[in-house]
Amino acid sequence: MAEICYGVLGENEASSACETSARAARRRRMEIRRFKFVSGVAAPAESTVNAEKRKRLECCTVSRGMEKCGDEEKGNLVKIESQEGVSSLTISSKCPPTSAPVLNPDAKFGMVSVCGRRRDMEDAVSIHPSFCRGDQETANNLHYYAVYDGHGCSHVATRCRERFHEVVKEEIENKALHEWQSALERSFTRMDMEVTAWTQGTVAGANCRCELQMPECEAVGSTAVVAIVTPDKIIVANCGDSRAVLCRGGKAVPLSSDHKPDRPDELNRIEEAGGRVIYWDGPRVLGVLAMSRAIGDNYLKPYVSCEPEVTITDRTAEDDCLILGSDGLWDVVSNDTACGVALMCLKGKAHAPAMESEGSEVENSDRACSDASTLLTKLALARHSADNVSVVVVNLKSNT
Amino acid sequence: MASGDREESKCCFKEWMTTQEEDLSELFQALTVEPENIDQLKQLAEKSITHFQDYIKRRNKLAHKDISAYFAPNWCSPWENSLLWVAGCRPSLFFRLVYALSGSEVESNLTEFLLGTKEGYLGEVMSSTQLLMINALQSKTISEEERLTMKLAALQEDIADQPIAMIAKGLSKVGEMNGEVEKVLDNHGRQMVKVLEEADGLRMNTLKELVKILSPLQAVDFLVASKKLHLCVHNWGRQRDQKLGRKEIDEEC
Repeated sequence: MAEICYGVLGENEASSACETSARAARRRRMEIRRFKFVSGVAAPAESTVNAEKRKRLECCTVSRGMEKCGDEEKGNLVKIESQEGVSSLTISSKCPPTSAPVLNPDAKFGMVSVCGRRRDMEDAVSIHPSFCRGDQETANNLHYYAVYDGHGCSHVATRCRERFHEVVKEEIENKALHEWQSALERSFTRMDMEVTAWTQGTVAGANCRCELQMPECEAVGSTAVVAIVTPDKIIVANCGDSRAVLCRGGKAVPLSSDHKPDRPDELNRIEEAGGRVIYWDGPRVLGVLAMSRAIGDNYLKPYVSCEPEVTITDRTAEDDCLILGSDGLWDVVSNDTACGVALMCLKGKAHAPAMESEGSEVENSDRACSDASTLLTKLALARHSADNVSVVVVNLKSNT
Repeated sequence: MASGDREESKCCFKEWMTTQEEDLSELFQALTVEPENIDQLKQLAEKSITHFQDYIKRRNKLAHKDISAYFAPNWCSPWENSLLWVAGCRPSLFFRLVYALSGSEVESNLTEFLLGTKEGYLGEVMSSTQLLMINALQSKTISEEERLTMKLAALQEDIADQPIAMIAKGLSKVGEMNGEVEKVLDNHGRQMVKVLEEADGLRMNTLKELVKILSPLQAVDFLVASKKLHLCVHNWGRQRDQKLGRKEIDEEC
């Protein structure tokens, strides 16, 4: 599945939800080593743009007709559905524009999520501008961005996309704002428990590849890199090997540290818990999973932990953008290169060509974010990334 | 099976390869000499697709008489045959080729792009919209491909089930042919033809959709690369065969 969302707006949630995989029940044996599985399929997307010069809501999800598209009811969305693949795109306004969206000028983003060279889609991206409506005035300016990279099957990543932001929202609203660390830690624990309960409780209706059959679905999990952008801070919580990188003054500043089994502190933690890291096509927890933390992966608990590492970064005037990506990007593109590419796009020196169908708004900086995420994705594919590639680029420059 | 049918099938393929060569040189000419002549590019891309359509139609007719000849054609090298999916290429190959083609441009221009000496070029290879549409088409194609793969698997399994397996078990002499055997095998063959038809339909539609997403220049570039690749695979296989001492496939048509 793939989508682009050019962001903005108050009440709206741009959820890149696209479910999939009507693949019939193929009971393939789990190939544990590679540990990345078959399932999801796609949905493409494309955005249309501002009616009138005002910045209005733009977030479009294109999905294949049969697929379910997540939580988009609330907003004023333009939805492009493609029933027969991409041939016939029809635009349908999902909601009447009565609920005028609140202008939210500081959520500018672009995202791309593609299947790439894999035959199955296990990445999921979730973007929810102004996702949290706390009592405080400032809470309206909390934006949620996340990338989930599933392994074993797609259902944990999909579940994260559907639910994680809601869990985080509840936890934030239950706490005094600024208790980020504990709120996020609790969110990850809750999400992990929810996934476990959900996979065990769902009898039918799973449309992922594994169909939630035991015991295979015990060996399914997902990374989660969650970024909450507030007017003055960037809070990143990470579990697994997806990554958040801040581009500050032209330099790359990683805001998360990949959880690889051979990271010395992770190796210690695993061994203290009684687990082992075995080299089998790279370091793996119990010779199985090539990351040391994840949501899900019940049978590898407690060696594989769902506890996130949280970083809280004060925003500065020098901040250019924030890049979230799955390992399909980071395996082949360095932090510095990614920042370089994103920066060039934000400075407007390069842009992807517009198709005739796209309204090209030159001054629309969301367009730049979208270009940046597209170029980074293409670069990853060019460098022969063998994985799904998901990239979110968030513009952090104050309003221009 | 009359041997004439098989000869005709081989000729059909040989003629298709000749058409591929002719189309390739025409497309290549247009791409290098007049890349700005959009109308010509469009027209040539359409022509090339029509040729593919004609070939599919013709071989489908022949396949009704002798389907197995297409699943393991003796006019291709064993190596080429090992790459076949339902008597042709996997339609998902198209996407790998698109990524490979666009990727080479992106990478080679990256340094200049980052240095700022070449502005606005990097994105020209494929637009965001195209990337997303291609991704969507890819997903759709792969799930269809999987569906057909399962169908083929089921048909292959049918060999070891009623009625074929039981007929074999009951024969007094191994390999004996009789009316009953002919009947069930013909019936099985008809099911295989249906899979071939669907697979060809998927190949055709995927190609058409893809060309629709690509600009005329990109489409011709893609067609040139894919035809060249196909011809290369065919010839490489034969050359490697000769090295291994296998008999040269009869070229007469």
